[in-house]
Amino acid sequence: MLRQLTLYAGVAALAISAATVAAAADKLVVTSHAVHQNVLTEGEGGNIVADWEKESGVEVEFLTFGVSEAQERAFREASLSEGTIDVSFILGRYGGPHIATLFTDLGELQAKDPIEDFDEISPGMRAAHTHKGKLIGIPFRHATHGLLYNEEILAEKGFDRPPETFDEVVEYARALTFTRDDGTKVHGMAITMDDPSAVMDWVRAYGGDFVTSDYEVVIDSPEAIRALTMLRDLAQEGVLPSDVTSHTTEDVITVMQQGRAAMTNQPFGRFKNYNDPEASQYPGAFKVRPIPMAEGVEGPHAAKTSVWAMTIPANAPNAELAWDFIQFVASKDNTVRAALNGNGPVRLSAYEDPRVQAIVPYAEAEAQALGNARIVVPGFENGAKAMDIFMEEVEAMMLGLKEPEAAAADIKARVEPLMPQS
Amino acid sequence: MGRIGLAHYAMVAPVQVLLLAFIFVPSLYVAWLSLHQSSYGQIPTFVGLANYAAITADPVFWRAFWNTFLVVNLVVYGELVLGLGLAVLMNGPVPGKRLIIAILIAPYAITEVTTVVMWRYMLTPDVGMINYALESIGLGQITWWQSRFQALGVAAVLAIWQHLPFTFLILYASLMTVPNELREAARVDGATAWDEFRRILLPLVMPALLVALLFRYITAMRLFSEIWLLTGGGPARLTEVLAVYLYRQAFSYHDFGVASATGWMMLLLSLAIALPYLWHVYRQMFRHA
Repeated sequence: MLRQLTLYAGVAALAISAATVAAAADKLVVTSHAVHQNVLTEGEGGNIVADWEKESGVEVEFLTFGVSEAQERAFREASLSEGTIDVSFILGRYGGPHIATLFTDLGELQAKDPIEDFDEISPGMRAAHTHKGKLIGIPFRHATHGLLYNEEILAEKGFDRPPETFDEVVEYARALTFTRDDGTKVHGMAITMDDPSAVMDWVRAYGGDFVTSDYEVVIDSPEAIRALTMLRDLAQEGVLPSDVTSHTTEDVITVMQQGRAAMTNQPFGRFKNYNDPEASQYPGAFKVRPIPMAEGVEGPHAAKTSVWAMTIPANAPNAELAWDFIQFVASKDNTVRAALNGNGPVRLSAYEDPRVQAIVPYAEAEAQALGNARIVVPGFENGAKAMDIFMEEVEAMMLGLKEPEAAAADIKARVEPLMPQS
Repeated sequence: MGRIGLAHYAMVAPVQVLLLAFIFVPSLYVAWLSLHQSSYGQIPTFVGLANYAAITADPVFWRAFWNTFLVVNLVVYGELVLGLGLAVLMNGPVPGKRLIIAILIAPYAITEVTTVVMWRYMLTPDVGMINYALESIGLGQITWWQSRFQALGVAAVLAIWQHLPFTFLILYASLMTVPNELREAARVDGATAWDEFRRILLPLVMPALLVALLFRYITAMRLFSEIWLLTGGGPARLTEVLAVYLYRQAFSYHDFGVASATGWMMLLLSLAIALPYLWHVYRQMFRHA
């Protein structure tokens, strides 16, 4: 009898302990782009994730994807009746009121258990992730564009300073297009064509825009058409690489690192990749400055910015733990540490930190650009379709299949019906 | 032959249940979804045939259809001609046959992503070895994916290169089963090599040819990674094929109603393209059998 009782007690104890282990989460699953994992785990700022893992006793598992795939995965997982993802990084321009119900209202969590000095994060960045009055994402990273240039190639062609107006950018790009004695072709400029962000820098440098914050399509303005015409001309003159219309971010990184292009407009953080002695043939030669405006155009800089934010899916299995992770990552000190690892910090105070100023040579320039930066397009349900139409028409124009005016008119005609109805 | 009993049905039931669960039921769900407007975080709303109307009114869909039609036919018939030619060649006395066959089937062991990345790199302007070779012999460089038909041609060549082993192996195995006596008898009767091929080999391998044609039609119709990784459907969506169009609707625009309708249109269009060919080949097969 005693042996039986002991056996039953043992079985019960095992069952209880198994249930306890099952209830306590041992893993936090995060979906993101690879860059988020990198800036949270590697570099001068150290491994932020490892510190949280030590503190919480929970392992973090990153599932990383390309830019649009990361959004798709986040939305798909969040729309399931039962979720497996705790934190998803999403980009503002893919959001909108239509996805607000898929994510937890972080405003409520913030009110109960706030993130340190939260108001320091700019209202514009928070607004990019606030839909239907719900704050669905805590800004983590901004990718603000700057003008990156290879100082060695500039010097080779007799330029001792970077371009100071956008007209000079074009002038330099033409002068920096040449063939080396060994047959290597150098293009004055390279741009990423996998979404409208790089093209929009050009449009804004000339004073134009695509979709305004109140959802007006203005791509047919004379300023925007001037920018599109310039892009078309440079593509046809060979100043841009011959396969420019198929250039992805990775292609641009490769041509810049190999010295096959002299300038590009990309996020400031790319400075690190271009000066990496293990990957670049010109380590130390790359510099970056805010993108200047064309002569006669108002405003100091033409930067576009994108804001990535951390969300908690409404069906997250470990929502409390996810909020703890977000609070930790979004703290002032960890924002600085991530900036040291190459992140675009969402707190302006990070740029004033002596550690950042010592290690990130472009800190001041990026802070300047950020002050004037605007998002590529405001978030709305048909945003992805509108951006695809924009790129389709711009590419057709760059191939010489359409005149810039016709391309702009077609963009307007096709995108206007997709705008949110007020 | 005995009557078909319950035991026989029970033995084939697992496959039927799997087909029902993983092909038939999802197809019905997709058909239902194609009649609704549906996206993340929304309850599907019935819209009748509006999604089909939207697709058929979209010029990009029709361009994707014609691109698919072109590439699929290039790939399927290119593979059949090459596969049959190589199979006939390998069926004869060839020195180093085993090594050549190993080389021929090697591309099948490489993943599609690796294949596309490798070819893309070789064809890249300025640094790719194919362009470098072209330039060094004075032909200049070709920007392969800046033109619709060049890019589709590259995708077709790439698909043929990767999937040729499948067609080759089916046809080679079939050729190996042709009795030598038949060929010897034909030669005794004065048949030329061409007569031997046309009157003996071709009719006998026709069933295998039909199988290869059918399988490759079905799989080539779903052509995706070659185009997606090579051009992403660009420039200006000129090289988009139906599977890329569907992917964009579902996973970029999150428009599951339109994506589902595209899936059904793909099925119907592929049947419409394939049926006349298959019916013709089927009739030929039985006329000679």
